Amino acid sequence: MAAADSPSTALRRRDLCSRGIRLAGKMRADVIDLLDAYVEQQGLDASASVAAVEGMPLAAVERWDEQTGTQRLLENLAAYRAFHALLAQMLEEQREQLGEADAGLGRALAAVLLQVSAFAYHLEELLRLENRGIPGEEEDGPPPPPRLSLFEQKLRGLGVLRELAQWAVRSVRDLRQLAKPSPATGAAPGLADSP
Amino acid sequence: DSHIQYERVGADVTMKCGSMDWDAAVTWTANGTDIDESHLNGSYLILKNVDLSQSGQYSCYEGSSWHLKYQTYLRVGTPPKEPVLMCRSNNYPKGFYCSWHLPTPTYIPNSFNISVIHGTKDMVCEKDAVPKNRCHIRYLQLFSTLKYKVTLTVTNALGKNFTTLTFDEFAIVKPDPPESVVAKPVPNNPRRLEVSWQNPSSWPDPESFPLKFFLRYRPLILDQWQHVELSDGTSHTITDAYAGKEYIIQVAAKDNDIGTWSDWSVAVHATPWTEEPKHLTTEAQITETTSASTSSFMAPPTTKICDKGAVVGSGAMAVCWTAGLVVAAYSVLFI
Repeated sequence: MAAADSPSTALRRRDLCSRGIRLAGKMRADVIDLLDAYVEQQGLDASASVAAVEGMPLAAVERWDEQTGTQRLLENLAAYRAFHALLAQMLEEQREQLGEADAGLGRALAAVLLQVSAFAYHLEELLRLENRGIPGEEEDGPPPPPRLSLFEQKLRGLGVLRELAQWAVRSVRDLRQLAKPSPATGAAPGLADSP
Repeated sequence: DSHIQYERVGADVTMKCGSMDWDAAVTWTANGTDIDESHLNGSYLILKNVDLSQSGQYSCYEGSSWHLKYQTYLRVGTPPKEPVLMCRSNNYPKGFYCSWHLPTPTYIPNSFNISVIHGTKDMVCEKDAVPKNRCHIRYLQLFSTLKYKVTLTVTNALGKNFTTLTFDEFAIVKPDPPESVVAKPVPNNPRRLEVSWQNPSSWPDPESFPLKFFLRYRPLILDQWQHVELSDGTSHTITDAYAGKEYIIQVAAKDNDIGTWSDWSVAVHATPWTEEPKHLTTEAQITETTSASTSSFMAPPTTKICDKGAVVGSGAMAVCWTAGLVVAAYSVLFI
């Protein structure tokens, strides 16, 4: 079992968690605005069902309350790294198909992409604080997805943004759990007993 | 044999007297009262365009022996209309409940069946003992984008109907209103009221799933509410209350991130602090008092200004006024 946190570590964790919660909250608000704009400009039905997107991390989780702190951080980090790749791909497709026609949408996508990067970095900071190794990003990345039709690309984009909005809510909840002091060790719950 | 027979309002009902021939001599009774022969066609009882008042026990007796040959309990009613279904999570993230009712009564027994599907997975909605028209589900997953589809089917002897609700996890989150709302005046502050409340007891984990609050208040004499949204804490000080006016105050709650606002809490009333009126017994005190600000010199609405024995002015007359007239009375006396 890990020793109790030093006061400075506990304070730093709380500070990082608070800032992370604000980052995730802002990111969610921007993703929701982007989602509205995306649906309108792509001519989609906001309630359309979207097939599972390959490589997209799902926010849905069972027994969420039983997760350790490390699990939360690692799952969040893996998710936002995956979203970074997916959003980068969306941005490239957007520029290819629409050029300057939807510059506003492109800018909004780029802004969200930046926030996703920033949040992923923030999660790495939290992992470093807990002396957990940062998992390396895959050198080659996932294999390139099959070329989709324009409509399929739009639907995939809808799925990605919806899931990202869901993750942003989950991340806020995860960070609140992390910020809670554990009564026994003084460490954040679950971090002391992670594998 | 006795059994139950269900018929629709407005239907024409024909009852046969068991195995008796059509031309047998019989007597029919309804709830023990003989039925006039005009309602008979041979031994058959004919009830045209039945209404609810014709529900009851119908019995057929053989003419001469008065042996009971047939008995039935007629229940007149209607098939169910589309039920009204509502689902809500007031205890997020534990689960949600669905409750239902019929928009109009059927007057006969109904049975309800509810099915819940999450994505493609069937879930069990456990019926509550009380109230009967409610069931609850525990969330197996959180943060899912897959929608929940709830179908409620109502069936009775005369027909069936159903309704379906589709929603996502976040949309139905609506806490119960805040509890134990208390509003108090702040001593020596005629424009302040201190309001405090508690999280609804049904909200299981306010630390991990904090609530934000909306407070509204107005003086009873005005219709327009003032609103304040509070992102944390369970208390607030109103600083712009009208002095001496009774206020009505309510609070609502919402999860900080998802869902909708609760209903308003029970209303509480409070009046800001006002200075106690001084008893005036000497001219010196009266002179001192008249130069004071009148806005703070108003007694609480239910308090009388002076006792019977008090003297106002240089005369011996004692005058008692209720609040609201005090300032005017003093002005008149000391012009």
